[in-house]
This record gives sequence, structure tokens and C-alpha cells, in this order.
Amino acid sequence: MSILLNRETKVLVQGITGRIGRVQTKWMLDYGTNIVAGVTPGKGGEEVEGVPVYDTVAEAVAKQGAEASVFFIPPKAFKEAARQTIDAGVGLIVVVTEHIPVHDVMEIRDYASERQVQIIGPTTPGVITVGEAKMGIMPANMFTPGRIGLISRSGTLSYEISINLATAGLGQSTVVGMGADSVVFTSVPELLRLFEKDPGTDLVVIVGEVGGVQEENAAQFIERWMTKPVVTYIAGHNVPEGKRMGHAGAIIQGEHGTGTPQSKMAALREVGVDVAMYPAEVVELVKGHLNHS
Amino acid sequence: MKLYEFEGNDLLRREGIPVPDYALAATPGEAREGAEKLGLPVVLKAQVLTGGRWLAGGVHTARSMEEVEEAARRILGLSIRGWPVHKVMVTPKVDSVREFYMAVTIDEYSGTPVAILSAAGGVSVNQIARERPEEVVSRYISVIKGLLPSEARRMCRGVGLEGAEVSRVANRLSALYRVFRNYDALIAEINPLVRTTKGDYLALDAKVEIDDDSLYRHPELNLSLDSRIPNTLERKGREIGVTYVELDGDIAIIASGAGLGMASMDIISRRMRPANFLETGGAITAELMYKVMDLVLQKEGIRAVFINVYGGINPIHEGAKGVVKYMKEHQVTVPVVAKALGNHQEETWEIFRNNGIHVVDDVSTEKGVELLARLLESNK
Repeated sequence: MSILLNRETKVLVQGITGRIGRVQTKWMLDYGTNIVAGVTPGKGGEEVEGVPVYDTVAEAVAKQGAEASVFFIPPKAFKEAARQTIDAGVGLIVVVTEHIPVHDVMEIRDYASERQVQIIGPTTPGVITVGEAKMGIMPANMFTPGRIGLISRSGTLSYEISINLATAGLGQSTVVGMGADSVVFTSVPELLRLFEKDPGTDLVVIVGEVGGVQEENAAQFIERWMTKPVVTYIAGHNVPEGKRMGHAGAIIQGEHGTGTPQSKMAALREVGVDVAMYPAEVVELVKGHLNHS
Repeated sequence: MKLYEFEGNDLLRREGIPVPDYALAATPGEAREGAEKLGLPVVLKAQVLTGGRWLAGGVHTARSMEEVEEAARRILGLSIRGWPVHKVMVTPKVDSVREFYMAVTIDEYSGTPVAILSAAGGVSVNQIARERPEEVVSRYISVIKGLLPSEARRMCRGVGLEGAEVSRVANRLSALYRVFRNYDALIAEINPLVRTTKGDYLALDAKVEIDDDSLYRHPELNLSLDSRIPNTLERKGREIGVTYVELDGDIAIIASGAGLGMASMDIISRRMRPANFLETGGAITAELMYKVMDLVLQKEGIRAVFINVYGGINPIHEGAKGVVKYMKEHQVTVPVVAKALGNHQEETWEIFRNNGIHVVDDVSTEKGVELLARLLESNK
């Protein structure tokens, strides 16, 4: 079992003919992902790695039954592509694209929520259901099948934590990069809810970072709804105030003092979450829980 | 990108919010010329991208030309929270009978736009919200529907406004929402909006920050980066397309992601001090890594370089070639430690190892930092 994605999911790749789209399509196929179509406007009729390319999403859905889509498109093309994909009835969209204007994200989020579409990202490494399929850019050799669910704001840290868990013999069910922007489509609590329901997941690891209130929101949800244990690591203990640390959302806002790792760790500890001080400590905390049960 | 007050004022004016006339001055003489045009008394205000101007002495009301020149000279010599003052705004002193606060920004909890209005302007809205919450009203706005005039008027009545004032202030709030939307703002704030003794409603200070990712579609703003990033290395980072933040230590960090960069900082800080945060994002090439090596080594006194990269979207084997090329062309005498995992990891290790770079033989950053510490210890 898993969340969001499995080996049967019929996946569409948007921006499949681009430099990154081509390389990543090959890697996703190698992993076992059921890629049924690609879309690049004006490139209909071509093939990439044996996958048929269409001009529009509607066509890819009509001809190949695509039900989920991963975006490797430029930020400028996002709004139009997202509308088209939502209108075509695709139920899951994974937005790998970085640097999308936040106003465009807010517009599409309102548009999608009226139509019950799940969007992950933007600025996400994607979603991988380990051993089955992946939509995104994660290097496959960092993951091992198992029963730990992982939610990460950072792509690279999702790899770091996964390979460290895997090396200790602890595999993952699904790993979700939720995206690193200040406004994201799917929040931590929504993903926690999916993991809580998933019979293939025993424990959830949340990898957070400075900025925003995602982790604080997660704490409220955990207190009320989670029965499965949660372990977390928040990156950026010593980040200077007012500096954007690479991710659009990773900033401690001066005057208000929100977004500090200290406030996040305190909120999570208060509801019984084990908080690691350093990435490798996550492994010890997870082991502790699994030995216990 | 934060805008200077005068740039914010220009945006407000474009959307129909009146602001006082102003002159910009880089010298006391220019300040005097401005004051002569505008008429005394005038207010001189330091143009810096930070708050706290009042406390730092960056705002002054002048009633004579001598006072204008003297105040301009003093303010232009100030540095406010690390920002040297290059320009001072000269503007006529406005007599007000009432002050308001208004802002449109993105709410952190919901990720939606929120409009905030208070009938107590001029001071910190956070302070008012804490002490007199009844004087602050905020309302979420649907980006699809926008801020409806009826909602803006309801907010005005909510903070106790009456009569003609309701529609006048509501009108300014609607215009501020247009600034927020039309220019991709992260925040558009007026503090204060005043009712003058003549009954006009003027914005006396504007704080606007534009989303960096939207700048491509706002050539009309004509914004230059130069004066906005005072730190030379941070500006160079921006120019080559990476995020660099200077810190006060001596261990240089190069990471291929923001989270990994921050985690590297956390771990290094346990026993050493990071010289910088640097993350490349997903655009690594040999050329980029060459430039990145050059950038982190420009800081004085670097004792070691710690490279932490993943091959997900990034071709790290290409990046490794750039690092090696830099080291061959320059005399890099400090130890360089690299942890590289993911696609093309074996190829990457090979390139690093063959060129004197210490490759971390483990999957954890902690082990990499231990190796780094050992190397520094044995170098002593």
C-alpha cells in the first residue's frame, strides 16, 4: 500500500521534450512508473523513450487515460498548463517546477480546490512510492521499500533522510516532497491524513525547515488526529533573521519572529513528536519507536 | 524584492492613491533644491530597505533651508541596521487629524491574501493587535473574486469608521489591493494613511515587497539589484544564480539544495563555524560549480570547503568537473571534502578522488563533517 501513487497509476509527463523532461522520463520509466503519455504543445506526434507525445492534455487523457501528471515546464507556462490539466480531469498533479510566481500558485489553488484536484508542490522533488513508481526527480538509489512515510519540504533532505534510514534497514512506503515555497498546494496536515489512513505506513517522518507555519499546523493536526508515531527534524537552527535561505519559504520574518526552528520544535514536542536535532538522529528516534511496538 | 519608500509611493500613485510630492537627494545641495521647490517645512526621510528609521535618526522635520542641508548631511552619513543611506527623500510636512494602517499580504497560515485595516496608524500594527485587538480588522480575500467594494466598506465600519470616511478609506484599501495583485506583491502596506486638515486622504509611507519570481513580468518597475543587496558576496551569488548568505565562520559550504545546506550548517555548527550558506538549486553545470568554488573562496580566511550534493535533477558528475577545473587552475591549499550521492555517484567520486578531493565514504552528512574535522586536526 502507499499514498497518492502506485505502479498502476497512469502518468503523464508535461514538458517531456525538454532537456530535463527527457532525462527524468527515462529514469521514471526505469523505476517502473507507468508513463502513458507526454505533452509538449507543438510537439504532438513525436515520441520520447517510446512514450507518445501529444499537443494537449485533453488528447493525452482521451487517448491514453492519463490520471496523474508531473510538470517539467518553465514557470511562465505554469498557469496555463495547470488550468488545462485540471480541466482535462487529471486528479493528481506534481509540480517539480521552481520559481513560479506566488500569485499564480494562489490562483491555481483556488481553481483546483473547486474541482477536487490534488496538487503537490511547487518546487518539489516529487512523489515516490518506493519499489513501485515515482513522479519527479528523486534519485532512485536513495530509497528502499518499507513502512515509513516521509514528508519533506526540502528535496535534498528527503534523499538524505531516506538513504540514512535505508542504510539502517528502515525502508519507506511513500516519500512526498511537499514543496519549498511560501505557499504550497498540499499542506503537511493533508499528507499526514493520507499516511494515517494508509495500512502500508507504520510511522511518519516530517522533515521541515525554517520559515512559515507548516510545522506548527502539523502539530495541531497530530494532536487531534494522528495515532501513528511521528518523528521530525527541522533544518536551519542557526539561520540569520530576515535572510531567504534558498527556498522562497525559508525565511525568519524579523519583527514577528515567526518561522523560527525553535517555535516549530517546541510546538511539535508539545504534542509528543520526537524531534531530532540532526538528520542522522532521525534514524535513532525511528528505531526507538519501532523497537517499542 | 523590497522596494524603497519612494518606489512604493510611485506604485500607490499609479493605482490612484494620492501621496505627497517628493524630491530625492543624494547630497545636501540636492535636498535644499528639493525643499525650495516643495516649500517649507519639509520632512527628510532616509531611503533604506529596513524598518527602524525613526529610532536611528533617519527621519527629520526641517523648518529652514539651513536645517534641511544640515539634516540631509547627517542622514546621508548614517548606516541603519547595516544599510548605508545613499538617498534621502524630501517631502512637504503634512498636517493630519487622523491616521490609519492598511495592508494586503499573504497570510502564513492559509496561504491566501489577507487585507488588514486599523484605525490606529503610525505605530506597529502588531502592537495594536496585541493591546487593542478591537481596533484591527482582517479579512481573507479570494484571488479569483478579488476584494469587493462592499467587503472593503464592511472592514471600514468594522474599525468604527462612519459617514463619508467609510467610502474614502474603503476606496484606498481597494486601490492597495490592486497594487498587491497587479505588481505581484508579497506585501503592500501603508502606514500611515492620514486624513489631512484639508480632508484629503494621503499615504505617508509605503512598504512594498515584490515576489522575486515575478520580476520577469514587471519590466515597467525597472528595478535594479545593485543597491538592494549590500553584501558583495551575496550580490555575486545572485548574479551567478545561486543563493549565498555570508556567515561569520571559516568553513565554506556548497550544497545542492536549501534544506541540505541548512542541515550542513546545523551539523558543522556543533564544533566549527560555517563561513557561508550556499545552495545551487537545480541548475548545476561544470561552469556553475567552477563559479561557486570561486565565490566561496573569495571570503577571507576559509579553512576548508565542504561540498554536499545529490544527483536528482542535478548532473553532479558534470559539477565535479567544474570543481576540479577550478582547483587545477588555482592554488587551493585548504582541504576540500565532498559528499556526493544519487545518480552518477560513482562517476562523481572517481573525478573527485583522482584530483585530491576527500570523498565522504558514508551516507550521512554527520560522517562527512567528522572527516572534515579530522583533516583540519591533522593539518595543524
